[in-house]
Amino acid sequence: MKAFKRLVEELDPLLHERGRLAIVAALAAVPSLTFTEVRDALEMTDGNLSVHLQKLEEKGYVAIDKQFVGRRPLTTCRLTKSGRQAFTRYVDHLEAIVRQTRGGMGA
Amino acid sequence: MDARQAARNLEVIRTLMERTTQYQLLTARAGLAAGSLAGVGALLFLYLDAANPWQFGGVWAAVFIGSLLATAVSTVLRGRERGEQVWSRQARTVILALAPSLAAALILTVFFFARNEHLWLPGVWMLCYAQGALGTAAYSPPPIRWLGIGVLLAGAVALWLGPEWAVPMMGAVFGAGHIILGVVLFAIERRQAAIRLHRSVA
Repeated sequence: MKAFKRLVEELDPLLHERGRLAIVAALAAVPSLTFTEVRDALEMTDGNLSVHLQKLEEKGYVAIDKQFVGRRPLTTCRLTKSGRQAFTRYVDHLEAIVRQTRGGMGA
Repeated sequence: MDARQAARNLEVIRTLMERTTQYQLLTARAGLAAGSLAGVGALLFLYLDAANPWQFGGVWAAVFIGSLLATAVSTVLRGRERGEQVWSRQARTVILALAPSLAAALILTVFFFARNEHLWLPGVWMLCYAQGALGTAAYSPPPIRWLGIGVLLAGAVALWLGPEWAVPMMGAVFGAGHIILGVVLFAIERRQAAIRLHRSVA
């Protein structure tokens, strides 16, 4: 039971928030996505997505590139190396939690 | 967090990762429409002569164009329903992956019609279709991979059976095959609607 509690406590709090986890999961599958693509895929509002992206950028999990294509601004987001590592760790933790419980139930 | 919540989070993560890589606007409606059109096309040869290249070409060109239109319309409708961009990065990827097979099918169609050997075309079309389906399998829902493998085998069977079986094979593979695809996609759509993962996450 202690091991289970420890696993839960070790979950990255930044990624544990649903919106941020969704952003990181979406970015983990591709090299990069535009702001619009992330917003449409996750059905988030611009404001909500901006706040989450800012927090992920501050932590160094996401890199945001702003440029102009013609006269239109284009914001591109990608997962950084540490963001990818944190995501992998988070998924590993979730799998460990599932395994731990299944093991406990089987015993 | 308990194990059930952890398992659900893992499923959400998997779905979101698929959502950014897979082309999701392919609809059950498009599959059912394409299958019905191909079925009607095959039945028309109860009255038409498949050996006549104009009749054979005319019917299957109409089926192809009709299926293309049905796919385009249902894709636009699905995009609107979901509030998603139709001409998305995934759509461009799928079309680029399909292009070589479509080009090959077009060249071979002209080649066989020019030699009055058009009744060999069903097998050729199936092989090209299978190449296209398998080429887009990485960005498409899982049934597309199985469809590709099935049509690849059916193409070999069609070539082995020869011109006498051209029309029945077209009806069976492009008619019944697409209807089965439509039913499978319909089941997947219902499951996705029940889960509504992206709404619950974002």
